[in-house]
Amino acid sequence: MTDYILPLLLIALLLTCALKRLPVYDLFLKGSKQGLTVALQVLPNLAAMLCAISLMEASGLTQRLLRLLAPVIHLLGLPIETAPLVLLRPLSGSASLGLLEKLLAEFGPDSRTGLIASVVMGSSETIFYTLCVYMSSAKDRRTGYALFCSLAGMLAGVWLAGLMIR
Amino acid sequence: MLLQWLFLLMILSSLIYGLLTGRAALLFPAALEGVSSAVALTLRLLSGYLFFMGMMELVKALRLHEKMAKLLRPLLRFLMPGLHDPEIPKAISLNLTANLLGLGNAATPTGIEAVRLMDAEDTIASRHAIFMLLILNSTSLQLLPTTVLTLRTAAGSASPAAILWPTLVCTGFSTLVGVILALLCRKFIHSPGRLPQRSPA
Repeated sequence: MTDYILPLLLIALLLTCALKRLPVYDLFLKGSKQGLTVALQVLPNLAAMLCAISLMEASGLTQRLLRLLAPVIHLLGLPIETAPLVLLRPLSGSASLGLLEKLLAEFGPDSRTGLIASVVMGSSETIFYTLCVYMSSAKDRRTGYALFCSLAGMLAGVWLAGLMIR
Repeated sequence: MLLQWLFLLMILSSLIYGLLTGRAALLFPAALEGVSSAVALTLRLLSGYLFFMGMMELVKALRLHEKMAKLLRPLLRFLMPGLHDPEIPKAISLNLTANLLGLGNAATPTGIEAVRLMDAEDTIASRHAIFMLLILNSTSLQLLPTTVLTLRTAAGSASPAAILWPTLVCTGFSTLVGVILALLCRKFIHSPGRLPQRSPA
């Protein structure tokens, strides 16, 4: 069923644009070009974070931390290997993208772990980064209870993901 | 700032831990391998960006987010009451709808503008409204997780879109929990100015 969503959305989008006589091809090129810039900007961030993640794994530190975190992650009802993703998701978009890709490669995108990791990634945000960017133009940069509420919301979403995907 | 500390902490602690546990020979190759996997990942992401950002430009040209923005106004009056400048709800609703549709580069400037206007208004109501906007944005609103779809497809999923409904439910739930907590905080914390917490980084 869900396999129909994307093609149907695309049909609706393209038909509407065609009916409105929008320059579809030129618009696509314009957006695509921005995609190129985004990818170039992402690369150094990915290089930094994936280097750090790879070092943590090779040194055995990740395994050590996972053993410490196991009880908490069990309480949330999540597979233990998703712990690094849940931890790093609010801090770094690049790190969590790298971790998602690792999990998809190692466990398979259609395994329980792969599905939960996908949902966690897609349903949450780089909270700390978002707060920084949005407050960048404010004189009073206090974020009050916003950080707490956002983290609690994310935790609730993560918990639900583990519950929904069995 | 925050990422700087995270980066230092991750790298230094792994190097020291690796040396102490006798894995010195593995460390440098691992660092380079991490970087090369970043190159591979960027290529995979690039194909997704080229496709989805191309299509998103069509959504932007249809001005869908501007049409949807008006529908959000009643909800905003409930979530962020007591704002005076009429430009504020305009900017906020554009920010939220652009985020819902995944138009990241259309969303961020309007969000920053909304925060700037509310910061200038500088009332207790506008402080609470800023926090509400931050919470809405940082509990994720995106309806279509395009990057996740890209990576699932690249990983050879039999059904990359299988995560769409659960993702929607989870992101809706996380936003709902965040908003309810924020409403409770607003009720019990009358003067947000007295909160000592500073913005991270």
